[in-house]
Amino acid sequence: MADAMAHSGVPVGTATASDTGRNILFGLYDDEEKLLDAVKAANADHLDIDEVYTPFPVHGLDPLLGLEESRLHQAGFIFGSIGCLFGFGFMTWVFTRDWPIIFGGKPYWSVPAFIPITFELTVLFAAVGMVTVFYIICGLGPGAEPRRLHDRITDDKFCIAFDATDLSSDEIDGLKGFFSRTGVESVHTKVVPV
Amino acid sequence: MENFVFSSRAKLITGGTALFGLLLLIFSYFVDGGEAHHMRFWTNLLHNASFFTGIAIIACFAYAAFTTAYAGWFVQFKRVWESFGMFILPGIFLFGVLIVGLWMHSHHLYHWNDEAAVLADPILTHKSAFLNPVWYTGATIIILAVYYWLISTIRKISIDEDTNGTTDYSHHKRIKKWAAPMLAAIGFTSPFLIWQWIMSIDAHWYSTMFAWYASASLFVAMTALTIMLLIYLKSRGYYPGINQEHFHDLGKYLFAISIFWTYVWFSQFMLIWYANVGEETIYFKLRMDQYPVLFWGNLLLNFIAPFFILMRNDTKRKMGTLFFASAIVFFGHWFDFFNMIKPGAREAMIEMVAHHDADHGEEHATMDAHAGDDHAAAGHDDHAAAGHGDDHGHAADDHAMASHDGDHGDAADHGHADLPFKSGFTIPGLLEIGIFLGFLGGFLFFVLSVLSRAPLEPKKDPYFEESLHHHT
Repeated sequence: MADAMAHSGVPVGTATASDTGRNILFGLYDDEEKLLDAVKAANADHLDIDEVYTPFPVHGLDPLLGLEESRLHQAGFIFGSIGCLFGFGFMTWVFTRDWPIIFGGKPYWSVPAFIPITFELTVLFAAVGMVTVFYIICGLGPGAEPRRLHDRITDDKFCIAFDATDLSSDEIDGLKGFFSRTGVESVHTKVVPV
Repeated sequence: MENFVFSSRAKLITGGTALFGLLLLIFSYFVDGGEAHHMRFWTNLLHNASFFTGIAIIACFAYAAFTTAYAGWFVQFKRVWESFGMFILPGIFLFGVLIVGLWMHSHHLYHWNDEAAVLADPILTHKSAFLNPVWYTGATIIILAVYYWLISTIRKISIDEDTNGTTDYSHHKRIKKWAAPMLAAIGFTSPFLIWQWIMSIDAHWYSTMFAWYASASLFVAMTALTIMLLIYLKSRGYYPGINQEHFHDLGKYLFAISIFWTYVWFSQFMLIWYANVGEETIYFKLRMDQYPVLFWGNLLLNFIAPFFILMRNDTKRKMGTLFFASAIVFFGHWFDFFNMIKPGAREAMIEMVAHHDADHGEEHATMDAHAGDDHAAAGHDDHAAAGHGDDHGHAADDHAMASHDGDHGDAADHGHADLPFKSGFTIPGLLEIGIFLGFLGGFLFFVLSVLSRAPLEPKKDPYFEESLHHHT
């Protein structure tokens, strides 16, 4: 459920004109069990959930929302492999070509001595690479404008959001009825850029 | 479906395999005759006894650790680990045979059990306060008996809970009170067993990582056996509440402890390789030069295979791949114990023969005769592995280390220089595989019959419900 955090910000700008943005109708729940029940009820009613936001990963939410498996770990594998090859290759170059030094009577190309550093560089590259990719995908990072529907989604509230831009007032009333049936704490609307 | 029913077919298969293994074990006594001190029989007995008793001990350890840590997910199948733990009792019997052999000098597994060799060797003399038959006997029997007492008490309370359990969970509280001392007891005393049983075969050598290393090996083997047994039980319709989520967690343990094993293996190797102290490096030098199949095969089976098979999420959630990976690492860690025991025991035997021969003043003649006998006895010997005897740093180390017996140096060199290939020592032979399967059959026969005596699912355990709803 890293994805829940990944999307914890939706584009929220200063635009108020509805023709340049999307009208989001969202309800806040105070408990993850209520949220799970509400998502099940929404699926049963064939409601088109736009997005769900949670302050932490909620077990069992991914299959309910039909989310695909994250591909972030594939990026991790690629970055890790690069780090592994870089670390090993760099040490090989240094100790056999550039600046050969004998340590403790060992051969120049001492593979066992390279393993810990190769391992550390694999972890470093995988970790830094994955965090960078994650930030780019989510539009986060230093200097990025925080975009979120509601401040408490990052604290203690669980949110189900619907896109109400093209909905009639009857349909919006239906969604509000759904929220009150599933024990919502509060319902809000907000216009966000497309 | 309350109790596991140990069907007569399953009894026949496990019991039959055990009997077959016993016959092979007896047969192996005569393969290496008196000249070789029946080494093949004794090493096979020690190898399998320490491997399967170790699995029983580690099952107790895991049980105690999870119980003490308020873990709930494993509670459904905790009877399996209780049954594993009860195998310590047959383990005491198996080691009883080895202990009798130790006192009767029927086997030469341990160099330190040879009084003349100990007196002539300052290293062994120095270590004789710990490496002696009294310590071996006392530590093995007392420590195993304490483990058995703890696990059987816990099992009694756990079974009593099924009928007399109440909602104040007094049974569970009592289990916790017994599990904590069991955790400490196994954590602090199991290294003594591993040092005595296995590390002291290479009596000159020592490694502070060794107990970690062997325990990690046993933990992986125990997890693998648990997975395979649970898949079997599920296929027979038992444990309806165990699903992918539990197997996913067991698979993560299999993966994680395999990596931990590799980490300890490498730490032990690299510290010794870097420091380059003769009496430490000899252990690896011997194995890399003379037993390359054991040395590298060990890493292939226990690191490369599980790392790449179990790295993906879905392989831990599919029964087929998980069973496959478990079977590989279960055999792999048996192979790892083979690598710990056999080369050192063979080396100790050759050294011992060299010492005795030197005493009789006919070192070269008898050494050659001995090598010849080896060749004839095993029948399928092959000198293919004898080719890489050019540079033997450890032979020189031996000189430095054993400078007190400079006269015997030649004999020692002779022993080290060219160890011929010998099935059952250089790689596991068919006898070893058969005896391994026999012990496995005996272990399963014992565990399944213990398992059938109590309900499979501890339905009144306070964490049972949590275990049913486990989600990874």
